[in-house]
Amino acid sequence: MYGSASTHDQPTTATTGLENEDPILLAEFEARIARGEKIEPSDWMPALYRKQLTRMIEQHAHSEIIGSLPEGTWITRAPGFRRKMAQMAKVQDEVGHAQLLYSAAETLGKTREQMLIDLINGKSKYSNVFNYPTPTWADSNVISWLIDAGAIVNQLANAKGSYGPYCRALDRICAEEAFHLKYGHDAVVHLATGTPIQRKMIQEALNRWWPAIMTFFGPSDKMSVHTEILMRWKVKMASNDECRNQFLDMYVPKIWEIGLTLPDPNLRKNEETGQWEFTEPDWEDFKRVINGDGPCNAERIAVRRAAEENGAWVRRALLTPKMQYVRPLA
Amino acid sequence: MPLTSQDPRIDLMYRLADDQLILGHRNSEWNGLGPILEEDIAFSSMAQDKLGHSLQMYSMLHALGEAEPDTVAFTRNAPQFHCCQLVELPIGEYDFSLTRHFLFDHAELLRFEALASSSYEPLAQVARKLRGELKYHALHANTWMKRLGTATEEAIERMQHSLNFTLPYALGIFEKTDAEPEIISSGLFVGEDELKSRWLESITKVLAQTALEMPEVTTLTPVFGGRHGQHTEFLQPLLDEMAEVFRLDPTADW
Amino acid sequence: MIHSLDPRMNRLGLPDAPATAAAKEALDQFGTYEVFHQKKEGTPYVYVGPVHAPSADVAFLFAKEQYSRRFACTGLWVVPTSAITVTAYVGDQESAYDTLPLLPTSQAPTPPPIDDTAEEEAAYAAGEEDYDVFHLKKRGKAHQHVGKVRASSPADALQVAKAVFGEQRPVVNVWVARSADFLRSDDEDRDIWATTPEKKYRDAISYKVQDRIEKFKQEGLGQTEA
Repeated sequence: MYGSASTHDQPTTATTGLENEDPILLAEFEARIARGEKIEPSDWMPALYRKQLTRMIEQHAHSEIIGSLPEGTWITRAPGFRRKMAQMAKVQDEVGHAQLLYSAAETLGKTREQMLIDLINGKSKYSNVFNYPTPTWADSNVISWLIDAGAIVNQLANAKGSYGPYCRALDRICAEEAFHLKYGHDAVVHLATGTPIQRKMIQEALNRWWPAIMTFFGPSDKMSVHTEILMRWKVKMASNDECRNQFLDMYVPKIWEIGLTLPDPNLRKNEETGQWEFTEPDWEDFKRVINGDGPCNAERIAVRRAAEENGAWVRRALLTPKMQYVRPLA
Repeated sequence: MPLTSQDPRIDLMYRLADDQLILGHRNSEWNGLGPILEEDIAFSSMAQDKLGHSLQMYSMLHALGEAEPDTVAFTRNAPQFHCCQLVELPIGEYDFSLTRHFLFDHAELLRFEALASSSYEPLAQVARKLRGELKYHALHANTWMKRLGTATEEAIERMQHSLNFTLPYALGIFEKTDAEPEIISSGLFVGEDELKSRWLESITKVLAQTALEMPEVTTLTPVFGGRHGQHTEFLQPLLDEMAEVFRLDPTADW
Repeated sequence: MIHSLDPRMNRLGLPDAPATAAAKEALDQFGTYEVFHQKKEGTPYVYVGPVHAPSADVAFLFAKEQYSRRFACTGLWVVPTSAITVTAYVGDQESAYDTLPLLPTSQAPTPPPIDDTAEEEAAYAAGEEDYDVFHLKKRGKAHQHVGKVRASSPADALQVAKAVFGEQRPVVNVWVARSADFLRSDDEDRDIWATTPEKKYRDAISYKVQDRIEKFKQEGLGQTEA
């Protein structure tokens, strides 16, 4: 569940390092991407491509494993068999997605253990929305539906990117997310069309989550430095604004049709431009939270650290001296 | 639902279903916290299977006149539960959760193998269908026991400690109820004593391939009571937590 | 202690301000295994991805749930990543076999006979072994099993594979690995996947909520807040 490619380094011509790359290899590499062929791990690639992709896939992987926690908060309390089993399967899938994505990132040369260490030491970022709490069951349902919906918009775009292992992982992830989206929608609809307690619960959860959802795709493209080279290399596939607009187009009507309201008086579709208008999210607050000062940042990292520490003896027991790590092939 | 039922099928299936529900619930607590990403996924699958098995049992009970599965699972209190105390204990550290999984799932696999020829055909059918799932559960448990039970000194010590602690609770799986003679005579099930001896043979065989020592079972006092509604202090809080949302409005459609 | 909304975390007990974890001296990193699955009986095994595991038996346990829990499966293979020999990757219209060193015609292997038991036995006795061969047909897609060859080394296996399968195009990349290095699911254990299609709770198609929405709209309940 990952929505924003906004934490890329913003390369400028002075910092790309492209002047140090072999111009012939670079031209072949760019021609391959331009023909629509994927890049595979053993191909030559510019250092900047490797660095940016590693960062992006790693952040995506972290977002899955941290993203399993807000919904995991309700795993022991899901009401009824159907929800209980589905909630377990959904949280499990997020961990599974992390595994797939770490594997894809590993093919670029960074080990999974190193990525996990960077995560628990606060050196890597993940999707900022997961730094917010899920105080009720309905909050968990809002994530299952709308955060996953946002993630699918982003992931479907990225699945058309240029790096083979990432595309393979995303194909599988998107196939699994279809269940998440339907499950989340089903759960939200049950609350929204249910008893007064249920309706109140889901409306309040939606009000709480809407500002975070609006930041999910990252700051407006107007506000970020142009990432022309990452677009050309098909690392970044769609602009933040395009993704956000597509998401609003697909889901706001579905929210409204079940009688729920959204806490933004300026939210409307401009029928002439086809673009949604809305109150600009508070990007200063976004920055503050992503830099560590959100309601759940400390807990999310503490949980990962506890899992890492509590499981260390198991991993230690199974290591054998002759074991040699080889990065996965594809 | 009375604690002692006239119908031996109901007596038997409540014990199975409650064990599966509570252990599945407990094991789901590991989801996102496991020692290795891949193991996290595998352990969650088996927890989901347990929930699925209990749902099938409760559905069969419903067909025999008991309440809906959700009602039975989410509204009873501890004294109305028939699970053994083994499954109620908190997840502890991974050595305990794996040991419990190993001891419980060997019994479960053998139980369902026996139930495949039960005189109650719906139960026999389900038992045959679930065989493959339980086979994987046992394979998973055996592989881990063998790996950790032959690994570092630290791991062997942890596993031995867990085994010693868990075995008396595991013997509680085979606690009998008043319905036992009829369960056996009606061909419903081979009975707990027979199951226990098959189970001992089966786990001893696996443990023999490790550095772990099987405690002398005859010297252990089985932890009984669960089948008669006597539970540890951990069950009621578990049930309260599980039903926290459901009980906000048990008539609502969640 | 951090107070969490998640009761599981409160049982875990999370310290308020954990010390910064020291970088690990040696990473506790397992080896990796590559996983192939068969979706339907009679179809070729296809590459699905890697798992981290300390041994093949554990890799199999992990692969089964990571790669075959959500969709139909009839078989699974795992093989250590280090056991696979990989050719160069070529363009989507080319053949990776063209990048292999050219052998003089006299040394070029001929496809091994299939039914000649005596000759086969002699070859095995001379140290030849079976290798599994996988092709990637298009960049970004997954490697597929194309068959087995008998050879004396991975390099030899690639040459034999070229003789047997080299006519196929495109072949963007080839993997070969000694058949003995694979751990494969037994046919008799295929029932471990028997109930996968029945687990509807994790299947998108079992969530059908449109009727409920229509009923809600008809009853006008959603209008109260508009």
